[in-house]
Amino acid sequence: MKTSAFYFFLFFVPFFLGAQTRKMTAAEVTTFQQKLKKVAEVKSLSADFVQYKHVSFMKKPVESAGKVYVKQPNKLSWAYVSPFQYKMVFRDGKVFINDQGNKKTLDIGNSKQFEKISTLISSSMKGGGYDEKEFAVSYFKKGNADLVKLIPKLNDAKKYVKEIELLFSTKDGQVEEVKLIEPSNDYTRFVLTNRKINTGIEDAVFNL
Amino acid sequence: MRFLIFSVVLIVSFSSCGTYKFPNAVGVRESTQQELNSYYVDTTQTYVYRFNMQAFKQAQNGNLLIETQAPEIHRIAMISDFGQTLFDISIYPDRYDLHYAMPDLNKKLLLREVTDIFRTLTARRYAQSALLFMDKQHFPVYEVDHTYYTLKERHVAQILRTKAGKERFTIEFLDVDQRIAEAIRVTHAKYPITLDFKLDRKQSNL
Repeated sequence: MKTSAFYFFLFFVPFFLGAQTRKMTAAEVTTFQQKLKKVAEVKSLSADFVQYKHVSFMKKPVESAGKVYVKQPNKLSWAYVSPFQYKMVFRDGKVFINDQGNKKTLDIGNSKQFEKISTLISSSMKGGGYDEKEFAVSYFKKGNADLVKLIPKLNDAKKYVKEIELLFSTKDGQVEEVKLIEPSNDYTRFVLTNRKINTGIEDAVFNL
Repeated sequence: MRFLIFSVVLIVSFSSCGTYKFPNAVGVRESTQQELNSYYVDTTQTYVYRFNMQAFKQAQNGNLLIETQAPEIHRIAMISDFGQTLFDISIYPDRYDLHYAMPDLNKKLLLREVTDIFRTLTARRYAQSALLFMDKQHFPVYEVDHTYYTLKERHVAQILRTKAGKERFTIEFLDVDQRIAEAIRVTHAKYPITLDFKLDRKQSNL
């Protein structure tokens, strides 16, 4: 009997530990979309981020961390501070890069994946929904948090990204996690913490 | 016409079967079996290197992941800083299995070259021939399968891979600490490509 109880806990307890994910009801989707519209009032956002790259054969993810600044309508600074220093600034249709003192400028088209995520974070901030021509959008509840899953429809995007998940904070309604799943099922998870809304960001942040 | 065909065959034969002449070497001698390149033989270890690649005037940074699945089988992945997998490949002594390659990099010739570089970097080899030098102070150099291993302080300091009698690429182990390669540089002789790897001990499982 004791052995059976042990196996019961061993196999079934983990299923109850994580927050369960379920599809939103139609009413919940409407409420969520209304919340997104309120988020449109956000003019700027700064946050710390930790990036976890999960590769199937690695026991632990590869981690890096940094700071992100977003200023509407179209300025974004994404800077790694650990374990290396690397800063990317997106503005005026270009990517400005500072790689430990080596500075360069690229056309935005050379960083397709980054462009994708910056557009998603910005559009989540702006609210107003997602481009349903580009993505199949589905809405979920993960515990009490809202979760949006985006599956690319366009063949070009499908080659790089299988699915994008955006998890919204229950506290401030902002995006707190972005998960980019690749066609191989390896994925990168970005966790945004210490989020500050409309606190005013110096323009100097968007210079190298 | 017959002479022309003969000449072409002769040229192709000579160009493909040419013998590489290692600088300052005067001959080859038989040696007792020498184990070479044992940096990546421990199957309990995984390595995370930070890489910087300069290729055709373009730069790319990211992480190189190496898992030893068996002393002669390695799984290698390169990921960009932003987390995008560039390629993920298992390398065997005589073939490779591609798990994923970013569409822009999924080209047979490129993958073959990448596999050759990383197989040379990671595979343990055994040599039975060593080069002879006039200068007796020269570091020992062993040769296996058109690949030359230079030893310094009992570890492989440089691997020079040749193809069709010409240098193809060089791998330098620039910093080795307690049999672990901390810094590596790969320089391609045919294409303008250099790769620098620096070990990230904190994220590696050593």
